[in-house]
Amino acid sequence: MRAQKLHELQSQLHSQGITFAYCGCITEHTLTGIGTALKHKLESEDVDTRTTRSIFAVFVEQMQNIIRYSARQTSSGSQSSADRSRTHCRYGILTIGQVGEDFVIHSGNLIEASDVPLMRARLTDLQGKSPQELKIAYKTQLRHGHELDCGAGVGFMEIARRTSRPIEFEFEEVDDEYSFFAIKATI
Amino acid sequence: MDALELPATVRTPQVSFNFSDNRFRLVGESYPEDVSSFYNPLFDALDEYLEGLASGQCRFDFELIYFNSSSAKAIMLLMGKLDEAASRGCQVDVYWFYDPEDNTMEELGEDFGEDLRDANFILEKMVV
Repeated sequence: MRAQKLHELQSQLHSQGITFAYCGCITEHTLTGIGTALKHKLESEDVDTRTTRSIFAVFVEQMQNIIRYSARQTSSGSQSSADRSRTHCRYGILTIGQVGEDFVIHSGNLIEASDVPLMRARLTDLQGKSPQELKIAYKTQLRHGHELDCGAGVGFMEIARRTSRPIEFEFEEVDDEYSFFAIKATI
Repeated sequence: MDALELPATVRTPQVSFNFSDNRFRLVGESYPEDVSSFYNPLFDALDEYLEGLASGQCRFDFELIYFNSSSAKAIMLLMGKLDEAASRGCQVDVYWFYDPEDNTMEELGEDFGEDLRDANFILEKMVV
């Protein structure tokens, strides 16, 4: 029987102040479903509008980062990129918790080890920016690139603009090919 | 041109492009599954309308309570088209309505609005 293990897992999450956790396959459909559930949960609590919207905004950007950039895919085929983003499964974990007055959103997923240096540089750069500098960087990044594709950078900037403290992040080496990427946003 | 009306969905805003009245509205939330397939038809319709506008006038209302970073790019592109029409001599009014309880949306409105050179930009509180 696994009741004891499950209970341990629940207690562990609870002791860290985590009130919402998802671990598993993430697609655009999962984002829609979990997002709706999260919104109802936040609305039913006594949390102000700006905080609610910021938590939701960070949740969307973190989930979409996993969908677009997580390294492990579980299906393949010759679909269009739009079909792929709807049906392809990327594995990841996301938790939302409360520590004192702060809401904390963590997410993690595997990435290719070769992407680590660029991501580290981008996130380190964002950590050092003032709100005014973030605003300028956000607009510069939006103007960048063709059509509607402006890359992952703007997603991290959106997170940074919504948080009350600089983004925290860490990479853990898994093997030669993959690293586990974790990001923490505090609202 | 026939009006372009789309009801809001969980992840896309209500769209109301009323070409004969020269009134345009985007209302609600925007974090589409596929930002291109949602916004490209809107870009095409707006382009076609603005080409035929010559020196007329139009009004575009953004009444968004939330949009994600990929929608931000789409909003920037829409504003760019409107400003270009204004620079050719059209009178273009861009209204940005924000929820007074969420100052992030007010700041984002200011960010987009300050890039408009020829279109009029009006920042207003939403009536909620």
